[in-house]
Amino acid sequence: MNPADGDQDDNSRRSFLLSSGGFLTGVWIAAQWPSIAAAAHHAEHRPAIADPVGFDFLNAADAADVEAICSQIVPSGATPGAREAHAVYFIDRALATFFSAWAPDFRPGLVDFQARFRAWDPAAASFAKAEPERQFAYLKTVDATPFFDTVRTLTLLGMFSSPKYGGNYHGSGWTMMGFADQHAFTPPFGYYDREYIGFVPYSTEPSA
Amino acid sequence: MTARRFKPGETVDFAVVGSGAAGGVVARELSQAGFTVLVFEQGPRFSPADFEHDELKYFFLSGITVDPSSSPQTFRRNPGAIAEVSRGTQPALYARLVGGSSNHFTANFWRFHEIDFNERSALGSIPGTGFADWPISYQELEPYYTKVEWEVGVSGLAYASPFDPPRTKPYPMPPLPVKSSGVLLERGARKLGLHPFPAPMAIASQPFRGRPACIHCGFCMGFGCEARAKSSSLYTMIPEAEATGRCEVRARSYVYQVATNAAGRATGVHYFDGDKREHFQRARAVVLSANGAETARLLLNSTSSRFADGLANSSGLVGKYLMFNQGVGVHAAFEHELNEYKSVQVTRVVHDFYDSDPKRGFYGGGGIDARIGPQPAIWAMSSGSDLPRWGADLKARIEAFPRSMYSAGHTTSLAVETNSVSIDPKLKDAWGIPAMRVTYKDHPDDLAFTRFLQDRQVEIMQAAGAQKVWRDDVQDSAWGVHLLGTCRMGNDPAASVIDKYHRTHDVPNLFLCDGSSFVTSGRGQPTMTIQALAFRAADHIGRFAKRNEI
Repeated sequence: MNPADGDQDDNSRRSFLLSSGGFLTGVWIAAQWPSIAAAAHHAEHRPAIADPVGFDFLNAADAADVEAICSQIVPSGATPGAREAHAVYFIDRALATFFSAWAPDFRPGLVDFQARFRAWDPAAASFAKAEPERQFAYLKTVDATPFFDTVRTLTLLGMFSSPKYGGNYHGSGWTMMGFADQHAFTPPFGYYDREYIGFVPYSTEPSA
Repeated sequence: MTARRFKPGETVDFAVVGSGAAGGVVARELSQAGFTVLVFEQGPRFSPADFEHDELKYFFLSGITVDPSSSPQTFRRNPGAIAEVSRGTQPALYARLVGGSSNHFTANFWRFHEIDFNERSALGSIPGTGFADWPISYQELEPYYTKVEWEVGVSGLAYASPFDPPRTKPYPMPPLPVKSSGVLLERGARKLGLHPFPAPMAIASQPFRGRPACIHCGFCMGFGCEARAKSSSLYTMIPEAEATGRCEVRARSYVYQVATNAAGRATGVHYFDGDKREHFQRARAVVLSANGAETARLLLNSTSSRFADGLANSSGLVGKYLMFNQGVGVHAAFEHELNEYKSVQVTRVVHDFYDSDPKRGFYGGGGIDARIGPQPAIWAMSSGSDLPRWGADLKARIEAFPRSMYSAGHTTSLAVETNSVSIDPKLKDAWGIPAMRVTYKDHPDDLAFTRFLQDRQVEIMQAAGAQKVWRDDVQDSAWGVHLLGTCRMGNDPAASVIDKYHRTHDVPNLFLCDGSSFVTSGRGQPTMTIQALAFRAADHIGRFAKRNEI
């Protein structure tokens, strides 16, 4: 699947909205808009993302190292982390397709990252196979590098962008952060506006 | 009445370049006044259902914004340096589709205050800047602000802010429902003796002129509105212009040169269609509303033997005095859920620090609002030396997303002559047209005031009961979405590009109207004033045309 694969579902939503507008009056649409939007959102729902089968840009060893970095950036735990969100599959697809312009810097950046790690810990087989505490300690020494910044950016995009790009697996990133992927909301939106008493006008002119 | 389609070779009364906040208003007003109008838009035309809630596409893949792969820009900090191609965010960032940046704006619609138009007289000169009064007053613009509110559509509560300038009518729609961020901003600010008030927003809070009310989806800033509730030109001015039967909006049509004759008058525009075929459109007059960066670039690329330094550039000021608006913010987390990703960005604003105060020791003024900022992915990527970057601390911050908000500060930029849009000496775009070069370094006062305002924002968040407050880094601007000041308005042809009616000093039938017309930057929310200027400009241009004075 690639980003364009979402088009079929987008077309469903588009067709729904266009056909709605074709025979309904503006007044009716205005009155019914929230329910129309909710229905359109329902039409937009996509089939579940297929489980990934492999990598296009990264080889298996590189993918393991990248996933280990991602997993340190947003760790797993009681809630999903980068690993559960399939951030590494997003990164692989991104570098192979829509972010291919980033690839020429990414690959030597990864090679340099791995070489520095071998020098830092000659006993370890690879970054991915090192103990998490060792990974953390090493990352502290390289987290100001452009390569780390790039992996951080890609990890977060992979966790919280639309699942159609291959990450945010089944919305796990959005679930972790408490974002509801919904198309329309009604007030109250949160705790503090629920208890708001209304705007009280100022009775006096400001002194300034 | 169906939209007009002009025949090849047909001469129109007005060619309007740009279909955004200003171009839409100009097209609607002139076509309703009885003139034929052909609007050129570089980008495509979207139907409401074409807009998506796709952060990656809209913020990283130029979903609806100017695309660096076809329209590269270069940037440099200092005028002596060689500008480099920008690899990240375009220095002059704008939306490229019918309706322009009015599609993706956040829709904060503050009026300027009276002081914005005569600050130079009130405060005196500022060395090293082109700080100047406007040639018009707030009172002259007030009727047109009212037109924006009632004809484009603004929600708000009149007379709520003790700092608001005089107005002749209330808002046509009540404010949008308050969000938790607005409640907290209001709580903290009132505790400190400040005067927060409901935000004026160009978003329908109730059905308005055939458009539905906001559905609170939350994807306003940087996104188009599929609900048609945002008062974008795409949904307001453009359809009303087309309904006259005298206006055509020609999408995917990139104007690269304004043509002039031996008498020094504009004769029309050269443009590429969507298949990169070149055309010439003849027009009796030309209005450029291409935005504060592209209008200047178009003039500078419209050279001829008579206008060797670019069109309408006898002052040498075309492209100069670019102003982005400074601004910075603070993140805050609270005990309970706010769920700020729902609904519009802003519901409360503080204007207590709007005016510049000489006692501070530097120039500057601004407004403070409350919002979430970007949606989930970009929010999670928020950077700043105060914020956790990775690991368990970052995850904890992300998990606090529903309890988080952002207070944005919007501040002044001084007009500095070296801050500019110019033509890159080497780079060309995908059509072979010389590319835009942006030179920009904030004036020290801009940064000083931004730091001052950030301190006030921290105080407000703490007074509101925030459990944790993080500061954004105050830093020099490297890009802007407020593209202001590059063809400034003025009475003196040697010190300005257009007169007070938006007519260029040099070419009698060439008018400029968009952010480029600004003399000062305001406090960070320019679109309301861009549209008020456009209503006023169109009013006068139409009168000139009817009197045969163009």
